[in-house]
Amino acid sequence: MDETRDGEGEVFPNISADSSSAGPVPVPFSSVNWSGSSQPVEAKTKAQGMSHQSDVLPCDQLRDQVIGNQSSHTQLMETLLHLRQTVDDCITQLMTRPPQLDLPLEEQRHNQATGEQEAFLRRVVNLLQSGAMWGLGLQAPHPTLGPRDDAGGGQQAQLSRQLDQLVYQLSHLEVAFVSRDLSNHGTDISAFERSKFQDFKTYQGDKYHEDKNTMGFINLGVSENKLCTDLMTERLSRSDMNHLEDALLQYSDQRGQPFLREEVARFLTYYCKSPARLDPENVVVLSGCCSVFSALATVLCDPGEALLTPTPFFGGLVVGSYLYSKVELMPVHLDSEITDGSARPFQLTVDKLEQALLEATLKGKKVRGLLLINPQNPLGDVYSRDSLEEYLEFAKRYNLHVIIDEMYMLSVFDDSVTFHSVLSMESLPDPNRTHVIWGTSKDFGISGFRFGALYTHNKEVVSAVSCFGFLSGISGITQYKLCRLLQDREWIDKVYLPTNHSRLKAAHRYITNKLKALKIPFLSRGSGLYVWMNLKEYLQPCTFEEELLLHHRFLGNKLILSPGKTYMCKEPGWFRLVFSDKPLPLKLAMHRFYEVLAEQKRDLRVKQLEDPQKE
Amino acid sequence: MFALPEKESRAPSTCPGPASTQDLDSNCGDGLERECSRKPDQKLPELYGVGDPTAGFSSNSSHLSSRGGIIKWFWDSAEAGYRTYHMDEYDEDKNPSGIINLGTSENKLCFDLLSKRLSQSDMLRVEPALLQYPDWRGHLFLREEVARFLSFYCKSPAPLHAENVVVLNGCASVFSALATVLCEVGEAFLIPAPYYGAITQHVCLYGNVRLVSVYLDSEVTGPDTRPFQLTVEKLEMALQGANSQGIKVKGLILINPQNPLGDIYSPAELQEFLEFAKRHELHVMVDEVYMLSVFEESVGYRSVLSLERLPDPQRTHVMWATSKDFGMSGLRFGTLYTENRDVATAVASLCRYHGLSGLVQHQMAQLLRDRDWINQVYLPENHARLKAAHTYVEGELRALGIPFLSRGAGFFIWADLRKYLPEGSFEEERRLWRRFLDHKVLVSFGKAFECKEPGWFRLVFSDKAHRLCLGMQRVRQVLEGKSPVAEDPPACQTQEPRDRHR
Repeated sequence: MDETRDGEGEVFPNISADSSSAGPVPVPFSSVNWSGSSQPVEAKTKAQGMSHQSDVLPCDQLRDQVIGNQSSHTQLMETLLHLRQTVDDCITQLMTRPPQLDLPLEEQRHNQATGEQEAFLRRVVNLLQSGAMWGLGLQAPHPTLGPRDDAGGGQQAQLSRQLDQLVYQLSHLEVAFVSRDLSNHGTDISAFERSKFQDFKTYQGDKYHEDKNTMGFINLGVSENKLCTDLMTERLSRSDMNHLEDALLQYSDQRGQPFLREEVARFLTYYCKSPARLDPENVVVLSGCCSVFSALATVLCDPGEALLTPTPFFGGLVVGSYLYSKVELMPVHLDSEITDGSARPFQLTVDKLEQALLEATLKGKKVRGLLLINPQNPLGDVYSRDSLEEYLEFAKRYNLHVIIDEMYMLSVFDDSVTFHSVLSMESLPDPNRTHVIWGTSKDFGISGFRFGALYTHNKEVVSAVSCFGFLSGISGITQYKLCRLLQDREWIDKVYLPTNHSRLKAAHRYITNKLKALKIPFLSRGSGLYVWMNLKEYLQPCTFEEELLLHHRFLGNKLILSPGKTYMCKEPGWFRLVFSDKPLPLKLAMHRFYEVLAEQKRDLRVKQLEDPQKE
Repeated sequence: MFALPEKESRAPSTCPGPASTQDLDSNCGDGLERECSRKPDQKLPELYGVGDPTAGFSSNSSHLSSRGGIIKWFWDSAEAGYRTYHMDEYDEDKNPSGIINLGTSENKLCFDLLSKRLSQSDMLRVEPALLQYPDWRGHLFLREEVARFLSFYCKSPAPLHAENVVVLNGCASVFSALATVLCEVGEAFLIPAPYYGAITQHVCLYGNVRLVSVYLDSEVTGPDTRPFQLTVEKLEMALQGANSQGIKVKGLILINPQNPLGDIYSPAELQEFLEFAKRHELHVMVDEVYMLSVFEESVGYRSVLSLERLPDPQRTHVMWATSKDFGMSGLRFGTLYTENRDVATAVASLCRYHGLSGLVQHQMAQLLRDRDWINQVYLPENHARLKAAHTYVEGELRALGIPFLSRGAGFFIWADLRKYLPEGSFEEERRLWRRFLDHKVLVSFGKAFECKEPGWFRLVFSDKAHRLCLGMQRVRQVLEGKSPVAEDPPACQTQEPRDRHR
């Protein structure tokens, strides 16, 4: 972990020092790499020799160019970071202006102009933060393309290409991301879409298929359970699913069809082990958990207000809070290191919650609630009953709402782990501020169904969220099928869940054995569809930039994983790997995984050897 | 419940406030609260009205955010009449004295045909790809089918592209997403009134966007004109008026065929409106959700997609759904067609809140693909049934000496009941509506459509004969029995805060 901190801290001190100086600057990536050895000379000669043949450049010139490219790449990165910080500062300044209400017209106009500037700056920042330029440009060329023994030289050429692209992208920044037709918010949304989901789109166009496209992308990035599609397909094809009546084709109660809400209440009562029967009047069903969360965030928080959330956590909900509702998330950063207050890595404690809340308050952020995911995503962790109780008590003390996402509650496949739904508690500390989200996407592996449910005792919240039934309604036909599915306890208990769990267990075992063989540390406590692993050994230096580069290296090898940055993890080097895929693609994926790591290791070694030359 | 007029009754009131809405802070919505505290102006302009969805709202909740409180109030005030309806729905066998719904615009005439088609084996396919996360814009197979379908039925001069199609769960979602990506908080769209009032809420819930009504007159002003005719002059006046109040107008909403007028814009008119929008750099959202429900062939409906050349294709956005034309409002399938890639991308990004089950996407693709069934079975039968129902209601209204508008499109007749309101006030209008409800027939009053003249009602005729006859019989009883309406309203009036200041 110490190395990680070094790596992280290092980028910033360099910024002010180097951004102003011109020409090749001999500031390499990390001092760790400088450990002297005799090999650098050899490597250098090799690199020059290779390039010499093709480019026919004088030796000195070439050397300058090579080093120049590399360092100006570094420099550009730093300039970018510097720019980002400047812009951030600017915005902080702008935001902290005292509210001026009765200003003369002149001044108001001035403010409006500043407002526009601010909006533009915000967009630039968004862009930088989202890593959009990485997603767009640095994806295509990869060191893997070069001949094996040319890794060093290839990488230099690479860097110059990347540099060109970066410059190109920056100059096209405005053209690409500021559309004259969209509102500021619309532009944000659009830029977000382009950056964050670029990978997903690439994947959509070139998916792996057992027969048709064995060279396609294997997606271990999106958390989907593909292990039981046979069971689901069979169940959904039975004739009871295809019932049709006019009520299903007509407008229904906005909260969802009564028959479905009743079934959801029964289902949750049973599987959450609720001490009392849950009330269908407390259920609202919408098209997916994203919709539920977004509606909930909107009715609980005003724009700009915030929810506390322990990180690392599933980034998809950021989308939920940001795109429509403009609600912010305040991370409660957890440490991988085990300290006095914690028994395991990334453990959430009330102390940390208190501290994060205090920090938010000091920053002037209004915190309205706490967002928990249980079983946790991406940690695969399950909160004990005591911890849950503590978190809820904490929230009650500060009048905070608690939104609990229990999307993976039936995907706890390790029998020794006991999941406690918040609905199983004898009495909730603050029932009017406790809201539970569940859906079929993960537990039944049918994310394409678009179904999410809210359970809350708070009638006001039920009413307000119901209003969104207009905008996030579920097809009557789908509601009927869902009802049939949830009703069929016999099938769920005797067929689906046992099979699903044993398949999850097998896939999990396969992946964890592979990771163990590679000596890759990981976390996984027998729930969820993923493992959370630490690849910092493969990052030199251990920074988010390098994490992203490694991510793109995986992409270059047609493998999609999720880098920790996406989960707002504060330590670079963590990746989430989804294992709930069929054995064949899983095996192939691990092969690609292994290849990339081997290459990465080779490159790191070369880099290490090269660095001392620049002295 | 989706299309219910009480919901619409919380539609904008005509209270143009001072120019306080120039939000300098573009990123968040204290606009809402500010609006709440605004006092209605006394002088009501005749030509336009700036919608204020939250006028009359006053409540504080300990658990909800301030916008959450407003949203809850939307819900509560919406419920009044419809709660009554849902607790006492008519059923031929179980509840023959229940309420007949001539208020919700739904086509209940062709369930037999749809049910048969949707039960055929091609509809029932289940495959893994349909169960997993789709492309947020909608499955490609469906977007391709939508493009083909619209090319054919909108008679587009060139084939439409699947790339320009985004699939969502209904047109309400399309309105919401478009409002969010095109406008900042507090900005507005122009919309000719009377209009389908639920749009007010669609654009307000997430987008916090308002509607500026372009008021149309029932009076015919000259030769070659018709009642409630929209003209470019009216659009210009409304736009100027809104601008003068400091309200930034970003677009124009057109519903064609119109709801509730049942009117249709000629290609020449359409062209003029689009040119107007282009002059002022306004987006145009054309809602063509009734395009195949034109049952009078002589009307000659033309989709905006059929125009040879769009004046401003990058700012023209067309929406369509199966809710009305295929009588499947509960299926939640709607689609946006726009050549503007930025808009399509941004809307697609919001589709994670407006998704549609893969299985239903498959069914929709199968349905839209089946031209034989659509052209030879469904459309002729649907039109014949609509025409028959329409003829019947027309006859009833004529017998009562009630003037009405209806040009052979849509599911409704826009009836002029002004002669039953001696004072001609919205208060009376509401009372008459209440009397209908007390006589177990639900209709929609003009205020819900932001009509500026009290006394207009929308009657939906696309229901089965036995319910329709019974409904019309009850309408007749109310109108013949106790006209004019003058006396006190019944008790439950308190539930409708919307009409307090009227």
